[in-house]
Amino acid sequence: MTSTPAVDDFVKSDYEHGFVTEIESETFPPGLDEDVIRAISARKGEPEFMTEWRLKAFRHWQGMAKPTWAAVDYPPIDFQAISYFSAPKRPEDAPKSLDEIDPVLRETYDKLGIPIEEQKALAGIAVDAVFDSVSVATTFRATLAEAGVIFCSISEAVHDYPELIQQYLGSVVPHTDNFYACLNAAVFSDGTFVYIPKGVRCPMELSTYFRINARNTGQFERTLIVAEPGSYVSYLEGCTAPQRDENQLHAAVVELVALDDAEIKYSTVQNWYPGDAEGRGGIYNFVTKRGDCRGARSKISWTQVETGSAITWKYPSCLLRGEGSIGEFYSVAVTKGRQQADTGTKMIHLAPNTRSTIVSKGISAGRSTQTYRGLVRIGQRAAGARNHTQCDSLLIGDRCTANTLPYIEVKHPGARMEHEATTSKISEDELFYCRSRGLGEEDAVSMIVNGFCKEVFNELPMEFAVEAQKLLSISLEGAVG
Amino acid sequence: MTAASDFTSWLDGGRTVSDGPAWLADWRARAAQRARVLGVPGRKDESWRYTSLSALLEQDFRPAAGPALPAASALAPALITGFEPHRLVFVNGDFVAALSTSGALPEGVRLGSLRERLATDPGALEGRLGRVAGAQAPLFSTLNAAGFQDGAALLIDPGVALEQPIELLHLSLGDTGAILAQPRHCIVLGEGARATLIERYLGLDGAGVCTNAVIEVTLGQGAELRHERLQDEGAASFHLSTLHLDQAPGSRYRGVNIGLGARWARTELHCGCAGRGAECDLQGLYLAGDGQLMDYHLDVIHSVPECTSRENFKGILYGRGRAVFDGRVLVARDAQKSDAAMSNRNLMLSEQAEIDTKPQLEILADDVKCSHGTTVGQIEPEMLFYPRARGIAEPLARRMLCLGFAGEIIEALSHEALREQVTEQVGARLEQASG
Repeated sequence: MTSTPAVDDFVKSDYEHGFVTEIESETFPPGLDEDVIRAISARKGEPEFMTEWRLKAFRHWQGMAKPTWAAVDYPPIDFQAISYFSAPKRPEDAPKSLDEIDPVLRETYDKLGIPIEEQKALAGIAVDAVFDSVSVATTFRATLAEAGVIFCSISEAVHDYPELIQQYLGSVVPHTDNFYACLNAAVFSDGTFVYIPKGVRCPMELSTYFRINARNTGQFERTLIVAEPGSYVSYLEGCTAPQRDENQLHAAVVELVALDDAEIKYSTVQNWYPGDAEGRGGIYNFVTKRGDCRGARSKISWTQVETGSAITWKYPSCLLRGEGSIGEFYSVAVTKGRQQADTGTKMIHLAPNTRSTIVSKGISAGRSTQTYRGLVRIGQRAAGARNHTQCDSLLIGDRCTANTLPYIEVKHPGARMEHEATTSKISEDELFYCRSRGLGEEDAVSMIVNGFCKEVFNELPMEFAVEAQKLLSISLEGAVG
Repeated sequence: MTAASDFTSWLDGGRTVSDGPAWLADWRARAAQRARVLGVPGRKDESWRYTSLSALLEQDFRPAAGPALPAASALAPALITGFEPHRLVFVNGDFVAALSTSGALPEGVRLGSLRERLATDPGALEGRLGRVAGAQAPLFSTLNAAGFQDGAALLIDPGVALEQPIELLHLSLGDTGAILAQPRHCIVLGEGARATLIERYLGLDGAGVCTNAVIEVTLGQGAELRHERLQDEGAASFHLSTLHLDQAPGSRYRGVNIGLGARWARTELHCGCAGRGAECDLQGLYLAGDGQLMDYHLDVIHSVPECTSRENFKGILYGRGRAVFDGRVLVARDAQKSDAAMSNRNLMLSEQAEIDTKPQLEILADDVKCSHGTTVGQIEPEMLFYPRARGIAEPLARRMLCLGFAGEIIEALSHEALREQVTEQVGARLEQASG
């Protein structure tokens, strides 16, 4: 059998962001016990309270069982085979500006198409770039400091704002919450801390790019955003990962706290390596995201575009505890190949006049499995609560699976809730219309799918919306026909 | 009284059908064994997530020592004027020939006691009884298989259309203690046969009886069955009922479930469209008031292409009423051109009522049209304003609006007399609730 170089190139090019940067990193040997946790804490120079906090979580985690209820299937994870810490070398002389950043690392960003300088100038986005586990660059600190906004890595926050960390860390997702959140509490490597003071509208969109790099290293991000009364912040999270063979565990925790009249908008574009055509080598994405609308009239909005990961297990939720608070969830999830996604949201209405909106669009292709799993709970005190839920699934190909599993619990008559769900394939009529106007089949499908997802894309910040549409088209390449 | 830890007491001491062919004894023994292995489902069991069995375990229901022999007058309050079906009467699960009026049946229709059929003509039921429920039936269906005392056997030959409805009238009489009644019905319609079947469950006194009924329905190619189930058990009763339905190509099943009575009621509808072009229409109306739990589980499986199913359930909750709706539509791999639409709408009339609803779709084929919708709401002031502005007092206006909401399901009943009866019962319960 012969093959031309062009064909070979094409075959190898299926994951655009698949490359490994050769950079010396200081990595712990695999394994997890109390000593490893003390070592992580010591390496990061954490105060005593953090070490204790981690140990408490670890001791609890040892007694927990891995959850099995999600509609996903994967070989058991050996938690002792994972290395729990990896930091770029020379942490003591961390770069003060972009110029000091390791050129190899810079190159990586360039390959990813995220030139930090350009973004600085063009998009007006402050970037807290996370490369592996330790933040190596934080830009726009000054502009934000002027407004009183704290935007730093969580390690820095532990040193610089211990009282805020003690007050809020684990207050939305306690270490007892679930298996992976507990593991994260014990071993979290780094992450982002955002604090918006009272009455401040954050002058720019905040953004973190995640990248999993060092081979065989689980990444345990921890994000904490606190919005004081009357403040506003929009936070963007996006990620791509290099191609590799071992499955990588990613168990992040995101906690949002919105006080009276505060608003947090959290957007995610997730494009981690989904594995090869047989599902080998993709990322395991087991994330706990929860927002706490603690104050009256506060608002938390989750928007996500999920195209990557071999397995996604993620339910961004809102606890509506403040009177008149609002929770929103807009999601587009695309699965193909052998990807498995079990995702959805929880809206817990605990106070009167709380409102929530759920719009979930799932597209499954190939041999993938996708499940929407959502909970809307209207408590006994939630008079006048409102919920509207819409879950639509689009199926491409006859080997994929789409499940819709909503749970609705209502304990107050003043509540009004509506739930709608549909599942169908792309209509022949729509395809015919596009094809008869000269569009290729893939373009036509891409166009129809983009239309299907429009309600969610409209919620994304401009820069992300463009990226998301592109991502969607790329994801569906080869899935049609 | 100390609560029992499981339902094995249900397996002991009943007057089960003891004589009969070997296959029957085998099947029952396997069921008893399986029931012991299954144990008691807990909250971790997905289909029992919102329903606690502790209230049922606290009771000590036992199969009755002998058949109850009510006077003919006991039947009078159960009859509906203007409704004259072929009637089989069951008292606490036992067939009572003296009260039944099966009348003249057309040729090709065999209707009678299941116990009798098993004794005289077991071949007619071999391979049919227990077939639809299968070896993996859920707990209460399995308990019934092990311990059913009697039931109806209805066998209709191919091509026979039965115009007059058949009624299976179940009376619960609790004057002899906490009785467990386990009837099992076996319905087989041959190719192209047609029939209307009404199941009624009535509690004629306040005493607590536990009914655990199972009905297995097999529809031949192109057969049509209208199947209506009216549950109005006594306020202290427990009611469990399970439908196992198997549809051949082109067959049509039209079911209406009305749930009004019992303190704790669970209905499981297991429907399998195993033949191309089968149609399954399930409708339901449930009312739950003080201390009542109404629990509905639907499991509709589209295992072959081109089947259509409709699930439309409505609930009215008042007082401290609770309801659970757990509907599942599964479209199997390659069951293309499946069409399923599920809807669950609930009206909440009080602060203490609670509804937990879980409409699920599991789709493994791509060329399908599936949807579900759920709503929970109350009567809006604007809706009340219209009748109020026309001089109608508020309680009556509320009742009218509720009856309007329920009307869609009541209208689906096949007989005018039944529609009137149910409307009256629903109205009376609503009046009680507001009074």
